[in-house]
Amino acid sequence: MDTNKVILGIYEDPDHIYDATKKLIHDGYRVRDVYSPFAIHGIDRVMGIKRSRLTVAAFIFAMTGITLALTLQSYVSFFDWQINVGGKPFLHIPTYIPITFELSILCTAFGMVACFFYVNRMVWGKNADIIDIRVTDDLFVVAVDVIPNKTNIAELSELLKSKGAIEIREKEFED
Amino acid sequence: MSYESPIRDMLITGGKTYSDITKEITRPIENKPSKAWWIGFGLSSIVLALWLFSTTYTMLVGIGAWGLNKTVGWAFDITNFVFWVGIGHAGTLISAVLLLFRQKWRMSINRSAEAMTIFAVICAASFIVSHMGRPWVAYWPIPLPNAFGSLWVNFNSPLVWDVFAISTYFSVSLVFWYVGLIPDIATVRDRAVTKARKFWYGFFAMGWNGSTRVWHRYEVISLILAAISTPLVLSVHSIVSMDFATSLVPGWHTTIFPPYFVAGAIFSGFGMVLTLLIVAREVLNYKDYITTEHLDAMCRVVMLTGTLVGLAYITEFFVAAYSGVEYEQYAFINRATGPYWWSYWIMMGCNLLAPQVFWSRWARTTPWFIFIMSIIVNIGMWFERFVIIVTSLHRDFLPSSWTMYTPTIIEFGILLGSFGLFFFFFFLFMKFLPAINMAELKSIVKTKHALELEKHYTELLNNNHKMSNNAHETKGDSVHGH
Repeated sequence: MDTNKVILGIYEDPDHIYDATKKLIHDGYRVRDVYSPFAIHGIDRVMGIKRSRLTVAAFIFAMTGITLALTLQSYVSFFDWQINVGGKPFLHIPTYIPITFELSILCTAFGMVACFFYVNRMVWGKNADIIDIRVTDDLFVVAVDVIPNKTNIAELSELLKSKGAIEIREKEFED
Repeated sequence: MSYESPIRDMLITGGKTYSDITKEITRPIENKPSKAWWIGFGLSSIVLALWLFSTTYTMLVGIGAWGLNKTVGWAFDITNFVFWVGIGHAGTLISAVLLLFRQKWRMSINRSAEAMTIFAVICAASFIVSHMGRPWVAYWPIPLPNAFGSLWVNFNSPLVWDVFAISTYFSVSLVFWYVGLIPDIATVRDRAVTKARKFWYGFFAMGWNGSTRVWHRYEVISLILAAISTPLVLSVHSIVSMDFATSLVPGWHTTIFPPYFVAGAIFSGFGMVLTLLIVAREVLNYKDYITTEHLDAMCRVVMLTGTLVGLAYITEFFVAAYSGVEYEQYAFINRATGPYWWSYWIMMGCNLLAPQVFWSRWARTTPWFIFIMSIIVNIGMWFERFVIIVTSLHRDFLPSSWTMYTPTIIEFGILLGSFGLFFFFFFLFMKFLPAINMAELKSIVKTKHALELEKHYTELLNNNHKMSNNAHETKGDSVHGH
């Protein structure tokens, strides 16, 4: 990032901030982020956020779970120590299916959620750098980068206001 | 001819704004608990003490403290286990399956239903551990090399599948619940005034800041978690049913068990959700969030699954008759007319007949009536497991082994006490965590702007209709004129 300074437009209505973001992107402003108390549908697409690759991670973890379960069960019951229970076969893949299924789900859930925390840099006890105290309650905030010698702050404020912003503020990030 | 479907009633009533939702749902967390809460919490603590006493007594004396004998080796304890696992199913069903079907009414109830799942599975697990008789070796069902004291487990056994199924179910439900809680924990954190609240909610909020990038990923993982939890919830009770179905005991050895158990689990789970929510909406005053429409929707599910379960009971009878196997035929006739006939007819009455009252809209929208019905459903489902286990076991292949089973007072203590364990956790949950998913609810509340738009379009639509109706009329007149 070549700038730490942002202009915040604060809104009360998700539809207003949606329109504002669309207009900002259209007019060539660089929207750093939009903060909201709930997911506003479609705004990620407007901001040009690429579809998350967490789905790929989920698939990889599922495959890991399947491999792990099949390896464990066949190793235990066939390769390491064969136990004759009622004359049943030692290597019997169909009876491995339930555990394989459960372990693939377990690995997917834990692996994917761990990745989710990692990419968001979320960790227990982390201090939140929230942009406004009410952003988890009822306010919607758009943060627009101020690029030195390029961004016209007056015009930007005017644009934000025309879309229904209730407040406009400046903020500097400490990076 | 044209048919216009009526616009649905709003999912939450009372014209709430975003900040109303925040204020009202965080109220129990931010204020001293009400008298009703203390009474409920106190009662459940007393019953929990009963559970602690009975379980400790069982651990000290051994399984001899129960009424089991050499023929009936599974009775109250496994009945309770299957009962509680079944209760747990509604939570995941509401949050995962209804999410995939985009049923928005789930949003007011999913949080407490998921909490219910977790506490119910804790209760269920406690029965497995105490049934082992030697809980200090409870780690033996985990695959550990022979040198650890047990042998490697037998992967052909459904009991081992169960260990994996229940533990996966518990941990995945816990993750699903926690991920759903994070945005709401952050809301409590940002409103916190006391130091302790700031610290603890801040700790568990993991630095949540409401960024769109995070929300985008959050939506993706919620969807995948729902997608993997759906087959999970079906698999868990199927595996529980295989504990019975893969055996050769007449009355258990049937292929209908997996779907029949899953339907029963959803049935009893929804019964318990209804019991809890009717109490919660009174105690926490959430009537605008959990409306009679929500109750109506849940009652429909109860009626459907109750009827499915009833169909399964009748199918079992038919299959036994059609199979020509005399042992199977005897097992079923003995169920309905043998020494435990009363438990069979309680089951039939509570599970098949009673839910049929929900065909009437009055029954589906009258809270006190639903409350009574939900308890009847749970009594019926407990008896279903009792019937399956005890009546199938008490008549062995050898008539010399025929016997009766009578529970001891300790077994009653554990059964009653498990409700204490369950409600103890549930009351703590209602006090310390937002009982309704605020972030999701806010996404379905109509804003002032949206309401204005809606009004505008409705007017436009009405005007259009008037115009086209007028046009039709004039056209019709001219036809008549000819």
